[in-house]
Amino acid sequence: MSKLNDLENPMFAFKNIAALTLLMPVLAFSAVDGVALLKKLDRNLEPESYESYRKLINIEPNGNKKEFVLYSVKKGKDKTASLFLQPASDKGRTTLRQGDNMWMYLPSVGKPMRITSLQSVTGGVFNNADIMRLDYAVEYDVASVDESGKLYTLHLKAKTGDVAYDKLTMTVDKKLILPIDIQAYASSGMLLKTLHFKDIKDFGGGIKRPATIETDSPLYKDYKSVMLYSGLKKRDVPDEVFTQGFMARMEELRK
Amino acid sequence: MKTTLTALACALAAALASAQEFSFDAAEFEKKPLEFSGYVEPKLEQLGLQGDSASYALAYPGQAARSTLWRSTVTLELAAKANLGDWVLDARAQGSQANDALVNRTDDLRVMEGGARYSAGPGLTLDVGKRVQRWGKGYALTTVGFIERPKDATDPTASREGFFMASGDFTRSLDGPISAVSLTGVLLPTDGITNSDFGKSNDLNPAARLYLLAWDTDLDLMWRAAGARPEAFGVDFSRNISSNLELHGEWALQRNATRNVVSPSGVVSSQVTDTRSWLLGLRYLTASEVTWIAEWIHNGAGLSDAELADYNRFLISATAPGAPAALAAKVVTLGQSGMGRANPGQDYLYVKASVSEPLGWVYGSAAVTWMANAQDHSWQLTPELSYTGFNGWDLRARLGWLQGAALSEFGEKTLERKLELTARYSF
Repeated sequence: MSKLNDLENPMFAFKNIAALTLLMPVLAFSAVDGVALLKKLDRNLEPESYESYRKLINIEPNGNKKEFVLYSVKKGKDKTASLFLQPASDKGRTTLRQGDNMWMYLPSVGKPMRITSLQSVTGGVFNNADIMRLDYAVEYDVASVDESGKLYTLHLKAKTGDVAYDKLTMTVDKKLILPIDIQAYASSGMLLKTLHFKDIKDFGGGIKRPATIETDSPLYKDYKSVMLYSGLKKRDVPDEVFTQGFMARMEELRK
Repeated sequence: MKTTLTALACALAAALASAQEFSFDAAEFEKKPLEFSGYVEPKLEQLGLQGDSASYALAYPGQAARSTLWRSTVTLELAAKANLGDWVLDARAQGSQANDALVNRTDDLRVMEGGARYSAGPGLTLDVGKRVQRWGKGYALTTVGFIERPKDATDPTASREGFFMASGDFTRSLDGPISAVSLTGVLLPTDGITNSDFGKSNDLNPAARLYLLAWDTDLDLMWRAAGARPEAFGVDFSRNISSNLELHGEWALQRNATRNVVSPSGVVSSQVTDTRSWLLGLRYLTASEVTWIAEWIHNGAGLSDAELADYNRFLISATAPGAPAALAAKVVTLGQSGMGRANPGQDYLYVKASVSEPLGWVYGSAAVTWMANAQDHSWQLTPELSYTGFNGWDLRARLGWLQGAALSEFGEKTLERKLELTARYSF
């Protein structure tokens, strides 16, 4: 039978239609716009410009806890600043980020110092990048998206070498477009930490997101860190807030 | 049914336990109109002394030579702040009590900083009071600290006392490669009583600093007018070359500065000259998370190794038994002119390696600092351990070991070694 005859054969056409139908989910999967999905997830987590309070709890294997409380503001794609309110020994400590530029202000030193994203400002599992995080879509490219059942799995690759985690594997709730788990890897492929997003809470103003992020790390065996959100709301502060000179005065923003 | 109810009860109990374990309400941290804070810091030191040195005779006049001294010190710092809308009133005071076998010294609570600040917005503030203006990018020392007290290179993050001043600060954020501009103007009056540590002449001592964040680089241009101190110009920069490497530098020119040198017999020669100082440094984070800070500091107004040796020869003769009283008075005068400061030399190399959480020691850190006078090759080595794992407490243990030839800077210090244990409780 010639090729032309194959095409004219109704049975042959049916088989091809059936095969296409079976392939539809795959085609649909590949049609997921990973970048749009990541941007949507960013906006579901926080408004582009906001203020929030966070409590970081480092839990040691023996159950001892150390708590840090931070007040943070973020504006646009690349500006964020945080003020430590607790513990007393760290009160007044301020961090500022403008894109890849990061500074830390210690009241005892009295002037901002440049720092890197990899240094830890609190000890324990959290580092500067966790505290001064920008939108995921700003720092990461979407390498691929997997879809299964109620979940998307996003494979993200850092846009530059300045980002603390080279790769992220993000499990996303398909309905809510919110992260469930994020695994953070070094460029060597080593798993650095896993973030678990829990306790979805309505913060008001249309913000409904996980209020608790639990973190564990193979580098800190049996240690656990928890980040709790409160008072998250949209707020647009002047650009001058994100300058070195304002670091010592960040308390002025709090009402 | 019973199984389902049990499972539901367990789930409810777990949820309640979780909620109790991790609860947080931002309302607990609302800004208060009046805030108090501070710390108390007991410190125990074992000092290894050079009892036969001139500096020992100066520090402990009339005391017999000894090689060891135990000292206990308690420092109390209290701070208060009143948040009154656009106005903030604040004060920070510090006092201490030190006891050892030779000296019992009490420093009453003294205001280190305090005043009133008015903010017309994030971009404009006016401030009057006793303040510390910390200029420069140097970690251990700075060459552009035109209107501040000198840093202690052995403890660069230690708080310092301010000067009475009035200042205004104007900041603008911009789009483009220059993303921030800030102009600070300062008046630091001296009249023989006010700011007498800065100078005794009757002057307003204006100074200014222009800050730019340009092409991801911090840049400062600084100026101090001639007055109680000579006119000075300075520039500094700091930039992240990569995610783990930062470079910084400073350059300063003091015009018509008086530079004193002393001969071994005590003859003082003064020269009015322009002095140039500079600093170049880096901060590097290795893959194993060791932070290296390295700085080279050139102090154009400082003493060369030969001049420092002559100064030390003079100190030895001036403090020798039976030396004329006039020589002792001259030692005091020279000390006040700057020769007696902690680091009077011309060239220094400072290297610090520190690691957070070494060997998995969470909240712990370890550091080793080495500072050398690059001309006379004398040096000071300071290993230290610190721990912040107990809520409110900062614990630190430091050793200090000073080494150098006779007549060199670190070879002639009062101390040749030191053990220091500090426990600070913040509240």
